[in-house]
Amino acid sequence: MEKTDAIVTSASATKQNRQPFQMRLRTREAIAAYIFLAPFIIFFSIFVVRAVLSAVNISFYDWQILRPSRPYVGFANYQELFNDYVWWIAVRNTIIFTAMTVTGTTIIALTAAVAVTQNIPGAGFFRVLLYMPTLLSVGVVGLTWVWMLSTQFGIINYGLSFLGIRPVNWLGDENLVLPALSLTTIWWGFGFPMLIFIAGLQGIPEHLYEAAKIDGANGRQLFFHITLPLLRPSILFVTVTGVISHFQVFGQPFIMTSGGPGRGSFTVIFYLYDIAWRAFRMGYGSAVAVALAIIMGIFTLIQFRIVGRRVDY
Amino acid sequence: MRKRSSLAGFALFLLTVVMVFALSIASTGAQDATPIPEPTAIVSDLGTGSMKISFWNGLTGSDGVTLNDMLAQFVTENPDISVTTEIIPWNTLYTKLQTAFVAGTPPDVFMLHASEIPQFASYGVLKDVSGWYDTNGGWFPWDDISPTTQAGMIFDGVTYGIPLDNHGRGLFINEGAFEKAGVDPNVAPPTTFEGWVELFQQLTLDVNGNNAASPDFDKENVAQWGFAVGEWPRVNFLAALAQHGGSMISEDGTTVTVNSEAGVAALQNFIDLVYTYNVSPPEAGFDTWQGFAAGAVAVLPSGTWFRNFAAEQTDIEWAAWPQFQFGPGQGTWFGAHTWMLPVGLEGEKLDAVQTLIQWVSDNQVAWAASGQVPARLSAQAALDPENYPSNIILGETFGAYGVQDIQHVAVQEMYAALDPELSAALNNQKTAEQALNDAAARMQQVLDRNR
Repeated sequence: MEKTDAIVTSASATKQNRQPFQMRLRTREAIAAYIFLAPFIIFFSIFVVRAVLSAVNISFYDWQILRPSRPYVGFANYQELFNDYVWWIAVRNTIIFTAMTVTGTTIIALTAAVAVTQNIPGAGFFRVLLYMPTLLSVGVVGLTWVWMLSTQFGIINYGLSFLGIRPVNWLGDENLVLPALSLTTIWWGFGFPMLIFIAGLQGIPEHLYEAAKIDGANGRQLFFHITLPLLRPSILFVTVTGVISHFQVFGQPFIMTSGGPGRGSFTVIFYLYDIAWRAFRMGYGSAVAVALAIIMGIFTLIQFRIVGRRVDY
Repeated sequence: MRKRSSLAGFALFLLTVVMVFALSIASTGAQDATPIPEPTAIVSDLGTGSMKISFWNGLTGSDGVTLNDMLAQFVTENPDISVTTEIIPWNTLYTKLQTAFVAGTPPDVFMLHASEIPQFASYGVLKDVSGWYDTNGGWFPWDDISPTTQAGMIFDGVTYGIPLDNHGRGLFINEGAFEKAGVDPNVAPPTTFEGWVELFQQLTLDVNGNNAASPDFDKENVAQWGFAVGEWPRVNFLAALAQHGGSMISEDGTTVTVNSEAGVAALQNFIDLVYTYNVSPPEAGFDTWQGFAAGAVAVLPSGTWFRNFAAEQTDIEWAAWPQFQFGPGQGTWFGAHTWMLPVGLEGEKLDAVQTLIQWVSDNQVAWAASGQVPARLSAQAALDPENYPSNIILGETFGAYGVQDIQHVAVQEMYAALDPELSAALNNQKTAEQALNDAAARMQQVLDRNR
């Protein structure tokens, strides 16, 4: 009994000795982590956080960039924004564009990722080929697709003519312009999500597929009951970053349609550009930016609530 | 798994086809018989002189090449001065200028349109150059520019600019398209809307060769259009608005009048050309310059700057006509590229900039090679009719009945309200009245805010 007590006492003492050591170790690791993170945090604070806070501040002023007088106007810019029908047109267009583009990008990127991870000759070549458009600038992509979609000289309408379809005015029809811009953006941007999905696919243990196959699962069942559920973290990442990115679409409508026809492809960032850099109204432009950030935050939150709840990391 | 692999292979095949198509277009560009012009250098360092001048402008077309050629000659004749030119698309130039003024690093000299003088002058960033005109003892002869050009240089009684040119609008006709339609290219231009419609109908041909006046005309398969409303609709509209006796804002500058009867009639003219008479494609989705180059447009309303494109990048026999006349009066839009200086420029740098502007002003005849019309009347009179027919024909109309942009500190914001509404009307999304009422409501807000 004494021996047992001695052992217990000894173990307890060892544990007590180890706890401060572990705490010290954790503290040291935390300090090291903060030191490594410090450069990013410093630059992020200076160049992003400060700018964001400054934009929020500017949105409460009648702030014209070159005018010395900048009167405080409170929430007047936001009041004007909510009564501005062009703002709501821009929001509607942006939501439609984002919904189409994120959905299309996710489906095509996932399809491509599954395809290039199969045992197919030249899979590596296809990965590179499918990723390549991501490397192009928005200017190159925009001008290329303007030509491809042209009613006069476009290769897409030329192809459709063999099916007996008359030239479609992709960029001049208010019902088609957003899908056309979305198609362009999907082509341009699905390479990066494809890489995310490839990484996700490679992280799924092979034995799960083997076990399912022994139980008689077919290809569709393997995809919908193993691949898709285990890719949820990747899907969440791709859709959340996609929504944030595509809500800020500017280059494609700016280069391809100038926001038209009418305001058919007029987006929020396009409106912000018009307000801030054409009308020089930085205060109102900042209100547009803040309102967009709030909308993006709401959509991101909804995504986390819907998809994120079912994600196991 | 074999089934999945074959599906995956098919998906890969489809994606690959799209990739290869698009990437090959992106990498090679259009391949046709038209010669590819030399790109304009964005930044050019001209001369090696110790007095360095920085100069920003938005002359991204062939006019930028012409100006750089002139500046190269200038630094040869003035070896103490060197010039660094930056050619920046106009909208980007406005943005860059703002940030440069805030940062205190504007260029030594820059070029804007006269219509932008009120906006920049109201911020107090432009230098008063009244003293450079001979009316105040300077070197530039005030009476050697037209009264409308003179008016464009002034804001609140102060002269802020030295004009380089008058650039504006007229018509470029494809003589081959006229002949194909059986119309004599030497026909006198009509003077009424009805007359123009009749001409455009004759010039608009379907794939079977029927013109738009024919009962057999197939409007879904047009091979050659008589006209194209999509070529910068705002300035077309401004011309027609003036022809109908209208204006953008009232004379006292307090009320938007763009949605007057004259405005609606002017816009309705263009809508009718597309949707009633089928002589023009809709505004959106039709490349007017390439359409003209491909022989698909017989009469293109365009600007003086179109001359070099027509001459150098198409093999079309073309001629310049004065602007169309859709209303009872005449009218055509024009503007002026204008030299401007930042308010803080002083000393030797100011002297060097003045030397540069004076040299270019004295040699404005050479500027005609850009397609634009020299601002100085003496230079206009000295142009060779053989080489510069479009400069002369269109230049005369600017002096006779040209209208400029409205003079207002928020002109860009007002145009940002007007442009989408014109586009909506020309693409059948709104009636002329709806579009102009919507535009006028937003423009009036701008006017009221800037009163």
